[in-house]
Amino acid sequence: MRISLAVAAVLALAVAPILAPWLEFVLTLAIAKGFAALGVAILLRAGLISIGHAMFFAASAYGVAFLARAGINDFAALVALSVLAAGLAGAVVGAFLVRYRAIFFAMLNLAVSMVFYALFAKLYGVTGGTDGMAVPVPSVFGIVLSEPAFKNTLFYGSLTLMVLVGLGVHRYLDSPLGHALSAVHTNEVRLEYLGIPVWAVLLIAYVVSAALAGLGGAITGFAIGRVVPDFAFWTASGQLVLVAVLGGIGGVPGAFIGALFLELLHSAAVTVTDAWNLIVGAALIIVIMFLPKGLYGLLARRAAVAK
Amino acid sequence: MSNTVIPLLLDSLASAALIFFAAVGLTLVFSVLRVLNVAHGSLYSIGAYVAASICLFIVSRQLSPYLSFVALLFSAVFVAALFGPLIERTLIRWTYGKSEAVQILITFGLFLILEDVQRMVFGVQSLYEDAPMRLLGTSLIGGVVYLNYQIVLIGMAILVIIGLRLLIRHTRLGRLITAVVADREMAQSIGIDTNRIFILAFSLGVFLAALGGALAVPTSGVAPGLGADTMVLAFAVAAIGGLGQIEGAAIASLIVGFVRVLAIYYVPALDAVAPYAAMLIVLLIRPYGLFGSVTARRI
Amino acid sequence: MKFKTSMSVIALAVGLASAGPVAAQEKPSSLGVGIFTFTSGPAAAYGMPGKNAADLMIEQINAKGGIGGVQVNPIYVDEAQGTQGIIAEYRRLAGDPKNQVMMAALSSANCLALAPLAEQLEVPTVGWNCDTHQLLMDGKSKYVFRPNGNTVPEFIAYAIYLLAQKPDVKTVAIINPDYAFGHDAAKIFKAALQALKPDIQIVAELFPKLGSPNYQTEISRLATARPDVIFSNLWGADLENFVRQASPRGLFTSSQVVLALGETVLQRVALPDGVIVGVLGDGWWMSPDAKANAETKKFAEAYKARFGEYPVFPSIKMANTLLYVQAAYKTAMQKNGGKWPTRPEIAEAMKGSSVATLTGTMKTRSDNDGVVDQIVGVTAKSPDYPFPVIGGMVRYKGDALMPKEGQDPIAWISTLTPEFAKSLPKPGSYK
Repeated sequence: MRISLAVAAVLALAVAPILAPWLEFVLTLAIAKGFAALGVAILLRAGLISIGHAMFFAASAYGVAFLARAGINDFAALVALSVLAAGLAGAVVGAFLVRYRAIFFAMLNLAVSMVFYALFAKLYGVTGGTDGMAVPVPSVFGIVLSEPAFKNTLFYGSLTLMVLVGLGVHRYLDSPLGHALSAVHTNEVRLEYLGIPVWAVLLIAYVVSAALAGLGGAITGFAIGRVVPDFAFWTASGQLVLVAVLGGIGGVPGAFIGALFLELLHSAAVTVTDAWNLIVGAALIIVIMFLPKGLYGLLARRAAVAK
Repeated sequence: MSNTVIPLLLDSLASAALIFFAAVGLTLVFSVLRVLNVAHGSLYSIGAYVAASICLFIVSRQLSPYLSFVALLFSAVFVAALFGPLIERTLIRWTYGKSEAVQILITFGLFLILEDVQRMVFGVQSLYEDAPMRLLGTSLIGGVVYLNYQIVLIGMAILVIIGLRLLIRHTRLGRLITAVVADREMAQSIGIDTNRIFILAFSLGVFLAALGGALAVPTSGVAPGLGADTMVLAFAVAAIGGLGQIEGAAIASLIVGFVRVLAIYYVPALDAVAPYAAMLIVLLIRPYGLFGSVTARRI
Repeated sequence: MKFKTSMSVIALAVGLASAGPVAAQEKPSSLGVGIFTFTSGPAAAYGMPGKNAADLMIEQINAKGGIGGVQVNPIYVDEAQGTQGIIAEYRRLAGDPKNQVMMAALSSANCLALAPLAEQLEVPTVGWNCDTHQLLMDGKSKYVFRPNGNTVPEFIAYAIYLLAQKPDVKTVAIINPDYAFGHDAAKIFKAALQALKPDIQIVAELFPKLGSPNYQTEISRLATARPDVIFSNLWGADLENFVRQASPRGLFTSSQVVLALGETVLQRVALPDGVIVGVLGDGWWMSPDAKANAETKKFAEAYKARFGEYPVFPSIKMANTLLYVQAAYKTAMQKNGGKWPTRPEIAEAMKGSSVATLTGTMKTRSDNDGVVDQIVGVTAKSPDYPFPVIGGMVRYKGDALMPKEGQDPIAWISTLTPEFAKSLPKPGSYK
């Protein structure tokens, strides 16, 4: 029953922009955010909270801009290379950071992400400073598209990636490596005694999460057409954690549910009120206090009750 | 070149004083309650807004400008009394014993709420109130004209450090706090009212945050976004000094202030990077901060 | 039967034709204009005067019947929400055919972000405050217009005025906000000084983050450098903060200060006499040309009555831009025989236009860049007003200080000579 629900949801997303064209931009951004939140959620499984993952999001987005400036114009190549760059950054940063736990892990991630932010914001000659860099419309498999056609391609491409990558991450979380993550959260020392190298398990998870955040960043860069240092600011990282928690740590769908819910709510609320932060903050507190399994948990419970 | 030494030092101290006031409340709250309050920056900016509003009111009614000094202190007390017990009771208390993720997220939610509350109550325009700064005049030091207010701030920061030290070491309340910090369960079992200690400690943290904001107003402007910018700076300082270490926060403030001023004088392009680079370097060498200590992991 | 069929066919055809989204014949119920400015945060100190002027000007236009007989409906977008937000807003507004023109934006960063979008979505976009010379550098814009001139003449004007006032300047320090506008201005000002007096030394260049509330350390740094001149294009709350923090510390007495956007704070902080200020264009409500224009005087008084202060130059820029848009509609409707114009027709009408504004003339070149005169002066006390006014003014002709279409601005600046500067009007000549 759950699979049919998921299929229905994906189909609904695919059809939505045909009914309401202005939704496409919002949904593209939501899916991108979902990828990044999924990355954060993977680490949350191991009890590690990163308030700095926006740095990989931004690194990949800037990667796209730099590569485009260097002359690479193919959509697939740009996405692949920048996700790779984000993963590489994740490997370098993570190799050091996964030694830490709890508050210190969170703070070190924050520190590194703010260094990224400050560099993006201050190196005006290289990164355009606070003005950011433009992301031109790339060619897709050799075909040069008009801007609206490219945006459609981007949306359906992201939707497809959401399904494919989502399945991939689901397999990963179901594998021994994925289960080891929850084991780290429960009792790390026992895991070490069993002979499983915790550091390696966490590093792999960290690199995967960085790559996912990078994927989100690349898509966002293309969708907006511009990358700015604010992509890496600490409140952006906070938003990612928020989405992960809102959606529920129940698995892959959680991150995307959270992201879609938030973006749609934002689009609706912003026309009515200016107090968007207040709504999100209150929602976050309510979800944590009363819905510890997040929105995903709410849906699962409904489904269980319906049976 | 030689004419920059004294200004460099004085600017570092002045910068450090402001940064210390922003960070000391955060590290104090962490030491007693073991909670990292992400809304700390918002309480700083609320203190600034309240102080600016009261001072502007004083000016508009043409009352004595010396009252603005009183206003600065009063704002901090007011904000602490209003928000301290309220937040601790409703939100913070709920997080005791839960994972850090939960604590950080709850206070992050609070931060978001307070950001909009500030916009709604104080508006979205910038505020300026420099009466206290003007009243104290200027002095020529090392060839540069400095505001006496800046020097007073340095003095006040030193007073706060000494005051906190005296509080912790030489008062009954201080000893109770030390007991709770050392071993919460034990303190409870010998009859210490930990709930009361928590409310007091948290309110003291809020007071220091609001005081920081209020004291910054005469030499800076107040605008939306002040809370978010201050938060991450306070974070950096608390982390460098070691979470929960007040003397650590003081030394860290000096380091961050000095590094930032050094950058502005010699490598202006890196002035914003400096505090975070410093944080990274210190944490690479001493992951728990300069004065932080590793707590044993319970298996 | 045949007649009925043919009548119903004609009726159907007419019905279909008039149901078209952009029916060129029928006038819409309102003309939507998207206006991008800062209405919150530190930049609002500069952005709100723009919004206020738009409110007042549109009210006046609507009272006289609107544009081409259609009431104008402004939709304000707050640039403080960040580039991502305003791009989403621009797309949303462009999707509604009732919105035909965008006036965007205040921040050069947002101007640069929206320009490609304007070309892609084919919406006439008039940069009411986009002076960054990077905006129209490729010269191929069809839908982006910038009628108020760019940073090149604006900042060369300051260099020329400064050297005319103080020919013995030796050391200069610069403190500009850290983004395109600040960096552009520094580059242009330095290049101009280099060309006109090569022995000038730049002793310090500071670029504090946009929106910084505290300049104490920067002020100390400038003081230790002891420059003859301090140049700054800080603006908004940043400028107000800087002036409030710098003046008790003696910066204005130890150096000649040039505040490129200083006119915006004349009514808000007590600037001392002798500070070189200007209006990035000709938009000073008290200039001799403005005082001679009855409509301008009326606007200024109405503005003061409603908003409590006289219109600063962002207000004038906004008002002038609205007049520019109004003129474009008039031209377009003349060209197409009185029909309500389409977006491409409006863009066509803006090309090469020359519009009389509240304070001068806005000429649009073939690359869509604007040519306006530049007014520069020094602060002076006034017996008639409780705030300082601008004295010792000069008005440089717009085309004297503009590089040719397609020319690299910095390269052109380096060709300027001291003789050229001497040939221009002197400070105090504009009375």
